[in-house]
Amino acid sequence: MNEQHDRPDAGDDDLVAAAGRLTTAISPERDLWPGIEREIAGRQRSRWTPLLAQAAGVVLLVGASSGITYLSIKDQQAPVQQVATELLFERAAFGSNYALGTDYREAHGDLAARLDDELERLSPEARADVETNLALIRAAIADISKALANEPDNALLQQLLLKTYRDELALMQNIGALTQHVMSRQDI
Amino acid sequence: MKTSIFVLIVSLFLAPAFAADINERLDADPDGRIDIFNTAGSVAVSGWDRNSVEVTGNLGENVEELIFERDGDRITIKVKVPRNSSRRISSDLIVRVPENSSIDVSTISADIDVEALRGEQNLHTVSGDIEAEVFGGDVDIESVSGDASIEGGNGDNETAASTVSGDVTLLRVSGHLDVESVSGDIVVDEGEFERVGLETVNGDIVYRAGLREAGKLTAESVNGDVDIRFTGKVSARFDVETFNGDIDSCFGPEPERASRYAPGLELRFSEGDGEGRVTLSTLNGDLRICTD
Repeated sequence: MNEQHDRPDAGDDDLVAAAGRLTTAISPERDLWPGIEREIAGRQRSRWTPLLAQAAGVVLLVGASSGITYLSIKDQQAPVQQVATELLFERAAFGSNYALGTDYREAHGDLAARLDDELERLSPEARADVETNLALIRAAIADISKALANEPDNALLQQLLLKTYRDELALMQNIGALTQHVMSRQDI
Repeated sequence: MKTSIFVLIVSLFLAPAFAADINERLDADPDGRIDIFNTAGSVAVSGWDRNSVEVTGNLGENVEELIFERDGDRITIKVKVPRNSSRRISSDLIVRVPENSSIDVSTISADIDVEALRGEQNLHTVSGDIEAEVFGGDVDIESVSGDASIEGGNGDNETAASTVSGDVTLLRVSGHLDVESVSGDIVVDEGEFERVGLETVNGDIVYRAGLREAGKLTAESVNGDVDIRFTGKVSARFDVETFNGDIDSCFGPEPERASRYAPGLELRFSEGDGEGRVTLSTLNGDLRICTD
C-alpha cells in the first residue's frame, strides 16, 4: 500500500535525477529517439525541455521496470519472473516505433499464462468480466500508442502508456493473487 | 401401503431443503486475527466489546461443515463446500468479533458487510459486493466485479481498493487513499486527505473532499472523466493535462493548448501557498476542477 501512496510523490526532480544517473551508466543499443530531435527542432518547444523529453523515455523504462518488479514482489504467494532493470532499459522501448523488450514480453507472457489458469477457476461470468476489461486495457494501449506515433515526444502520452501497461500487468497479477487467495481458502 | 411409502420417500426427496441454523462461540484475543471464508451467500462482521467470537446464521443444504477453530490468537471460520458443487451452498454468516480484531474475509460471490470494527480489514471477493465501516484501522479491498462501499467515521486510516469492473464509493473516509479500477467508477465523498491516488482506465473519477496542507492528489484515467471539487481551501500546485478531453476549472488561469500540433490541453498554476500538489491527467476524458 505504501508503494502506491508514494507514487504521487515521485516528483520530476527525483525522476530526472534518476534518469540522469542512468543515461551516464547505460549505453542503449541504439538511439531511442531517432528523428525526434528533427521534429522538435522544427516546432515550438513545449515546457518539456529536450533533456526532460529524453529523460522521459528513460523514466518510462525505469518506471516499467519498477512496476514489474513491484508487481513481482507484491504477492509473495505468487512469485513471477523478475526483470533486471538494465536488461529492460537496454532493449525495451515504447510507442509505435519500438517494440517492448524480450524480458518484458517474457514477464508479460508468464503472467498471461498464469492468468489463463486462474481464469479457469472463476465462474463464466467473472471470467468474461475479466476478459472484457483486459480487452478494454489493450484497446487503451492501442489508442495511446496510435497517438504516440504522431506525437512521439508527448510526455503525457508516455506517462499514460506506462500507466496502462502497468494496469494490464496489475490486473493479471491481481486476478492471480485474488483467485489464489480466495481459492486456497476454499481448498483448505 | 406400498404406494404410501413410495409417495413419502418421493416427497422427502422433493421437499425443499432447509438450511441448518448455526450458533457457535469461541473465546478470542481482544486484538487477534479472524480469517473468514464463505463461497456464496453473505458474511456480516461486526465488532463488540466481548473477548469472544460468535457465529450465527445458516448453512446451505449441501455445505459439508462449518469449520470454526482457534489457533493461538487466530480464529478460522470457514464454510466447507464439496468440490465442483455450486448448488445449495449459499450460507449466511453473522460473525461478532472483539472490536479491535483484524479480519481477513474471502468470498467468491458472497457479499461482505463489516461494521463497528477498529482493527485492520482485508476483504477479498470475486463478485460479491462489499460494504465496510472504518474506524481508524487500515482497509484493503480487492474485487473483480463486486462494488465496494466504504464509510469512515472517526480518524485517519490507510484505505486501498482495487477492482476490475466494480464501482468504489467512499464516504467520510480520511487519511491516505489509493483506489484503482479498470472500468469501475470511483467516488470519494467528504473526508480529508493527505495523500490520494485514483486511477482508472475507463471508469469516471469523482472527488468531493478536502486536501490537507501539503497534501498530494493524483488522478489519472485513460477514457474516464475526472471531476474534482475540493471542500474547503486548497493550497497546491496544479498540473492538469489531457490529450483529447476538455479542461474546465472554476479557479486559476485558463487552460492552454499543450502543443500547436496536437489536440492536448494543459493547465498549470499554484493556488495559495502551493505546498500541496494536484496532478490530473486523461487521454480522452474531460477534467473538471472546482472548490466549494
